[in-house]
Amino acid sequence: MTGFIIRRLLWGVVLLIAVIAVTFMIFYLLPSVNPAILRAGRNGSPKIIAEISKDLGLNHPIYVQFWNYIKNIILHGNFGYSYYYNDPVGGLIANRLPATLSLTVGAAFLWIVVGVPVGIISAIKRRTLLDRAAMGTALVFVSAPVFWLGLIALYVFANDIGQFHVFPGAGSYVGLTVNPLKWFESLLLPWMVLSATSTAIYARLVRGSLLQVMGEDYIRTARAKGLSERRVILKHGMRSAITPLVTVLGLDIAGLLGGAILTEGVFDIPGIGRLNIDAIGHGDVTIVQGTVLVASIFIIVANILVDIAYAFLDPRVRYE
Amino acid sequence: MNTSIRRRALATVLVLFAAAAALFAYASSHSTTVANGAGLAPAQTGSGENLYNGKRGGTLTVYDSEDFEHLDPGEAYFALDYEIMYATQMPLYEYLPNNSTTVSPMLASGQPIVTDGGKTVTVHIKDDVHFSPPVNRLVTSADVAYAIERGANPNVANPYFIPYFGDIVGAAKATGGPIAGIVTPNATTIVFHLTQPTAILLEGALSLPITMPVPESFAGPLDKDKPTQYGTSSEVFTGPYMLESTAAGKFLGLGYQPGKSATLVRNPNWNPKSDPAPAYLDRININIGGASQVIGLQVLKGSDSVQNDTPTNANVELAYTKYYKQLYAVPGAGDHYVSLDNAKGVFSNVNIRRAAYAALDRAAMVKVAGGTIVGEVATHFITPGSAGFTQSGGLAGPKYPWNEYPDGNLTVAEKYMKAAGYPSGKYTGSQSVKIVGSDNGNSPEEAAIVKDALTELGFNVKLVLVDQSVMYAKYCGVPAAEVDACPEVGWIRDFADPQTILYVPFWGPAITPTNNSNWGQVNNPQINAAMVAASQVVNPTAAADAWAKVDDMLVDQAVAIPWIFDDQPNIESANVRGINDLWDVGEWDYGYTSLDNP
Repeated sequence: MTGFIIRRLLWGVVLLIAVIAVTFMIFYLLPSVNPAILRAGRNGSPKIIAEISKDLGLNHPIYVQFWNYIKNIILHGNFGYSYYYNDPVGGLIANRLPATLSLTVGAAFLWIVVGVPVGIISAIKRRTLLDRAAMGTALVFVSAPVFWLGLIALYVFANDIGQFHVFPGAGSYVGLTVNPLKWFESLLLPWMVLSATSTAIYARLVRGSLLQVMGEDYIRTARAKGLSERRVILKHGMRSAITPLVTVLGLDIAGLLGGAILTEGVFDIPGIGRLNIDAIGHGDVTIVQGTVLVASIFIIVANILVDIAYAFLDPRVRYE
Repeated sequence: MNTSIRRRALATVLVLFAAAAALFAYASSHSTTVANGAGLAPAQTGSGENLYNGKRGGTLTVYDSEDFEHLDPGEAYFALDYEIMYATQMPLYEYLPNNSTTVSPMLASGQPIVTDGGKTVTVHIKDDVHFSPPVNRLVTSADVAYAIERGANPNVANPYFIPYFGDIVGAAKATGGPIAGIVTPNATTIVFHLTQPTAILLEGALSLPITMPVPESFAGPLDKDKPTQYGTSSEVFTGPYMLESTAAGKFLGLGYQPGKSATLVRNPNWNPKSDPAPAYLDRININIGGASQVIGLQVLKGSDSVQNDTPTNANVELAYTKYYKQLYAVPGAGDHYVSLDNAKGVFSNVNIRRAAYAALDRAAMVKVAGGTIVGEVATHFITPGSAGFTQSGGLAGPKYPWNEYPDGNLTVAEKYMKAAGYPSGKYTGSQSVKIVGSDNGNSPEEAAIVKDALTELGFNVKLVLVDQSVMYAKYCGVPAAEVDACPEVGWIRDFADPQTILYVPFWGPAITPTNNSNWGQVNNPQINAAMVAASQVVNPTAAADAWAKVDDMLVDQAVAIPWIFDDQPNIESANVRGINDLWDVGEWDYGYTSLDNP
């Protein structure tokens, strides 16, 4: 197992460098904007632009810029300097991470505690009205774009622009350390919106997976041995059925930690997603690279954790 | 499928159709076309508002989906940045919010004194203005001199230093150190010596943020950073408000959190006797980010708030129909035009340019942009509220056949195509036309109207849509990209002098290989000469006439097709007495804005 983990970690590092290289290349191959021109402003003269290019190191060949970037990250943990904010990218990301973390963890908790039981009940009560209602609702939420869902939720439930003043509206986010109660209140609606689609997907996933597992021979054996139905489902059925769920869960959480762009945008939550989308608008390459790198780290780490979790959840899976 | 299931399915389909029809009917009855409609009351403009009948106190919340670019007076060159600058700093001169043509002394104690045939400008400054903590001391003329000189420092890179201050003796070669043509004989006097009699332009430019005093003792060390950290992390202030800062003058992380918020509080060292701004508000909380559609509703339905950036068309219509008193459409917010490549390609022929001008349905473009609330059909380049606008024909514009038909006139257009050598009135040559537009907002539809007009004239048109910043930086601002037309370019005056509207976009020698703002590469010797002559006219009335003549020449040569004089729609909560700066594209002026119930 230790060898497996080390191998996966080494491959993770290689993958990270590949991600950095691809992100780096994208901004040179696609028609983006020269940061020096943005920095120089509307009337920036060629002389000023050249001067700024030199200051930013943009006058070097691309491989030198790439090498400097990699070197700074590995040796100094320096993700570069934002062209737009004149601030270290690492600091900006660290500043935004708590909001994204708050949003993601809460939403993930919600979609697991709602989605998994709904999936189990649907599987047990297959083809009943309850099953059809649950899966029909799930279909609606799977189909609903999160941006649209967020706006509708605000128009209906926000305490400033909604029809029913239930939850705090957009822009109400405060940090957990500033005011825990307000932090919780401000995230209720974003959590519900962000988790809606995933809840629906997880419910459908659990239902399908459990239905498949419940037809297996070992389930019949467990029943034949006189185990209670609850024990058969939860101990024997779910243990197998949950394996594909773990894969998806790891990647979903990791993906959101890289920034829930739409939810953060609609609810005005200053997280990594909004930092990223703003940076794209400003042509602020270093921030985009930094956020992509952070998202990649989350996904790679999540993948490794998922692989390890597999070994514990499914006895058939063993690593050399 | 048995009969009952089929009946149930049919019933379901019918119910769904009925529901859809009901929703459609409801939506139709609640949708409006007021923004484009005729005969309805125009939106409030903010002109002539009483600036001094507000109540003191309260906190204003400002919703702003966009972030600021620069908070350093030496770097700021963006309407949103100016809001902060003019609320927190005192320039030598400033336009009062309801006046966009006459500057008032701010830090200066009186009007500038022009001598030496327009080659010397002397300004006396007040002796009772202090910097905010930690500097605390009196502002002197040396602080104004340093503020202007640092504009040439590459670490500051002021974007308008050369266009407006380049005629000061020694400024052209300055790099941030002392400039020979800026002299401070005593603590309250600053003298500018010019190489040419361009005093009238400099007088206007003395209202720009670069003239806001900067203490060298505080900013000097920060200006050594690349780029400067003055205005990025720390700053001192002279206006009624300041960014909330530490005792050491650092505001980053406190009064400004990039992409999150900015907070303005009262400046403890501000002297109300030396500033005309009443500064009613106690505090201004600026919330950065969020979806514009949501922000607009929060402002219209909420209290104590304004939206800083342009509201969506849907919210403007909503405001117009349901919250009329909370909507302003402030004129003079610049213009937009279709640039045409005067240097090469089909549009190097003046008659083809005139034909394109005549064929274009400019009224349709304005309608797509949001209708008469957001602007008027443009007929020339000097914008409403600027000197020379009336002399240049006002809203009707110069009288030329191709300028007479806002809806476009194909007959007139074909006449000029024939004059260009195409007897059928249609283009029969082999060159195609490349148009590059923005893919943001309504721009694609506006660009499509331009494409349609040119297609009707027989051109083979290729339309490319890209992000607005890419449009300028990769295509329209790069002559080598060989773009024939850019339908979305526009210009906002820096101050009321018409030179600031016409000089950069149409002055031939200003063409640069990159970051070019003369998008049509207009380089007409007669127009260039007329600009030089107009820039040296000292008498303001004569100068306005001279620039109006230049404006007329630009329309005569159809160097570009102006299509909208922009108005800036602004929305506020019902209890906000918002004051808009007519001179700053209608942005909110926090120095004058107040709350009804603080």
